[in-house]
Amino acid sequence: MASELTRQAVPTAPDEVPVLAPGQTFKSVTDTISGIVLTLKTPLFWFANFGIGFLLLQLFLLGVTMLLFKGTGVWGINQPVGWGFAIINFVWWIGIGHAGTLISAILFLFRQQWRMSINRAAEAMTLFAVICALQFPLFHTGRPWLAAYWLLPYPNTMGMWPQFRSPLIWDVFAVSTYGTISAVFWFTGLIPDLATMRDKAQGRLAKTIYGVLAMGWRGSAAHWRRYETAYMLLAGLSTPLVLSVHTVVSFDFAVSLIPGWHATLFPPYFVAGAIYSGFAMVLTLLIPIRAVYNLKGLITERHLDAMAKVMLATGWIVFYGYMMEAFVAWYSASYYEGFVIWNRMTGPYWWALWALVFCNGVMPQTLWFKKVRTSPVPLFIVSIIVNVGMWLERYVIVVTSLHRDYLPSSWGMYAGTVWDWAIYLGTIGLFLTLFYLFLRVLPMISIFEMRELVHKKSPGKHVEMME
Amino acid sequence: MTEPTVARGFEVPASVDRIRRQAAMVGVIGLVALIGGAFVNRPQFFQSYLVAFIFWSGVSLGCLALLMVHHLSGGAWGLVIRRILEAAAKTLPLVALLFVPLIFGLEHVYEWAQPELVAKDPILLHKAPFLNTPFWVARTLIYFLLWSGMAFLLTKWSSQQDQGGAAGLDRRFARLSGPGLVIYGLTVSLAAIDWMMSVDPHWFSTIYGFVMVGGQGLSALAFIIIVLFTLTKSEPMSSVVQSKHLHDLGKLLFAFVMLYAYFTFSQFLIIWSANLPEEIPWYIRRLSNGWQFVMFALVLLHFALPFAMLLSADIKQNLRLLMPIALLLFVMRTVDVMFQVSPQFHEGIYIGWIDVAALVGVGGVWVAAFCHYLRGRPILPVNDPYLKEALANHGSH
Repeated sequence: MASELTRQAVPTAPDEVPVLAPGQTFKSVTDTISGIVLTLKTPLFWFANFGIGFLLLQLFLLGVTMLLFKGTGVWGINQPVGWGFAIINFVWWIGIGHAGTLISAILFLFRQQWRMSINRAAEAMTLFAVICALQFPLFHTGRPWLAAYWLLPYPNTMGMWPQFRSPLIWDVFAVSTYGTISAVFWFTGLIPDLATMRDKAQGRLAKTIYGVLAMGWRGSAAHWRRYETAYMLLAGLSTPLVLSVHTVVSFDFAVSLIPGWHATLFPPYFVAGAIYSGFAMVLTLLIPIRAVYNLKGLITERHLDAMAKVMLATGWIVFYGYMMEAFVAWYSASYYEGFVIWNRMTGPYWWALWALVFCNGVMPQTLWFKKVRTSPVPLFIVSIIVNVGMWLERYVIVVTSLHRDYLPSSWGMYAGTVWDWAIYLGTIGLFLTLFYLFLRVLPMISIFEMRELVHKKSPGKHVEMME
Repeated sequence: MTEPTVARGFEVPASVDRIRRQAAMVGVIGLVALIGGAFVNRPQFFQSYLVAFIFWSGVSLGCLALLMVHHLSGGAWGLVIRRILEAAAKTLPLVALLFVPLIFGLEHVYEWAQPELVAKDPILLHKAPFLNTPFWVARTLIYFLLWSGMAFLLTKWSSQQDQGGAAGLDRRFARLSGPGLVIYGLTVSLAAIDWMMSVDPHWFSTIYGFVMVGGQGLSALAFIIIVLFTLTKSEPMSSVVQSKHLHDLGKLLFAFVMLYAYFTFSQFLIIWSANLPEEIPWYIRRLSNGWQFVMFALVLLHFALPFAMLLSADIKQNLRLLMPIALLLFVMRTVDVMFQVSPQFHEGIYIGWIDVAALVGVGGVWVAAFCHYLRGRPILPVNDPYLKEALANHGSH
């Protein structure tokens, strides 16, 4: 009966899995979600993942200490490859964040109901990914304690300004705007839920902390009206950010003259790649979590299916980018453009390119099959492969375009050193630590939006079960 | 509340037939003038014809792509305009026919089609395996076969659905539309290179396929809103189309206005900042000798003004206010296509009567065909399982 109602209410194909498993009530969703946080019993799964993250975080501290002690010479960068892991990892992390913004802002404006149970975790992912991304440019300046002085344009008597024509400065604005808006958006969406947590928490300390964070939310009609307006405005503000941030990141490369970097296609193709990797990361994180925490009724196969479809579409745009770049390199009749592509395919880094084509171009084609899109294990594997592929993509773009420039006498090879890897794996540790702390102390699914969904799906049915 | 709308008849209003006759007349007059132009100035005839062909084929293709997007995404906005999209997509075989005259004047349009020029130019020699007449014509033929084939299948299944045909049709729509969009993206990108980019055979830009796709989407949406304006003057569409549908279409139009500006500005910024001799001449040509005013006009009227207007939700929901913006964008689309193509043939700013005759002539014939295809079937996909939901009036969402 419940599924019958669902079918009438939403325009989904008749065989589609609903966005909310049948039989959910106000009480069941509230208890399921808040119960994950308000309990003393933490699953072993949490300790395992947090533990791995925390260990890797120590590696990060070690790597950074070494870097600050000795200088950027501990990294693999040199002539001719002056940009290595730092920019690769920066772009990789920033890209991952994009899925959160897309889910919370664009899908909100499109009134897509499948965003409701994944937006909170995805936004948290965005925030933590931006934090990880920031580590790289910050430490690449060599003296991070002076970074603000170099990068921020403040009025000063010496008339010293940053180079406004440099896309690296545009990055400072783009990424700081992105970080700020994402944080405000995430926190605003949390407020009603923080009030629920305040009301449900047993301990005095927990009550106080959630109470302070809830900022006096009482759920009055006036509160809701202001909340809705604020959320809509923030969604509107965030929407252009989905495109602008990675566009500016792509300008870091495209605005230059370097063959292999200077391509007009870069902005949309980077944006698509960002969304692609972001959805892959959401799936990587949520597939195990929904199994362990028993959330299959809230994060259904419908969500997996929808996210996989977004990946298939954006994956094709990315793949299209590779093909168009290769074709135009020939079509342009420019010797150097042609050489860069040929060198990518057959030069010393051929393995990186073909691994990339496999990860980002071939593997995702399995997502044409509904069976793959809705089966957690295969989908999890594909999502990991895409994460790797998107890292390789930046590796190929950065390294192969630089390592053989116009003069064969200045050619060279590049590889990350052990400290490059330590800091890279270290940011994964930072990310996992933050994400699993988030899981432990905040509701990972929006409680009130799920209640709204319960109401929409089976009007009246949930009422008698309310407390 | 929702029942009567579905039960009532969905005949296409008589006005469509009237427009068909008028459009055919205008088209014939335009074509006669155009053929006159061919005798007066043969190269100009082909150059103008290319602009008209690219613009009107873009409306058909944009509608085909939106139709496939709708089949994948669902949504009320798509159901209300599905017949418009289908009718426009059905014109593709005719558009293929309209392509034929171009074959007889390639040397007036494309440098690479002039063997004596190619022989002297190492870059054109390099490109000759791709840019040569037989291969070029064959490619276009393949594009049209693919596009017409997809349009044919989608409209055929839609007719079957009208007659209460086989179940599972909506799955079949989706199953074609997924790969269909991939095919569309690849072929339109190649067509963008073939038809438009190779007008300046030395120039290249990897984003050009996106520019073409974005432009087609924008032309198609503007066209759809204009058609809706006409159709809602009478029953049944006057009671079917609600502000929620218009709001969605307005948002899509808004998105495409921004997207197109984004693609073209990205191209401009990247080429301008690198200032490479291989790329910059394309913009130098278009930023001098009067053409720069066309560019300013495009920035203002193809982007800034529609952008500012479409920010308002009230405008998006009111067809009377939305229509003029769509009309402005539709006209600016023709200006934009001209801006991409014509500077190659005219150093100084130029728009002649042959240009207008081509746009009107080809357009008249195209619109007449569109009306013809629109006439044959109910104005809404009456048997679509989601139509009832799409037409339900829940008030505001």
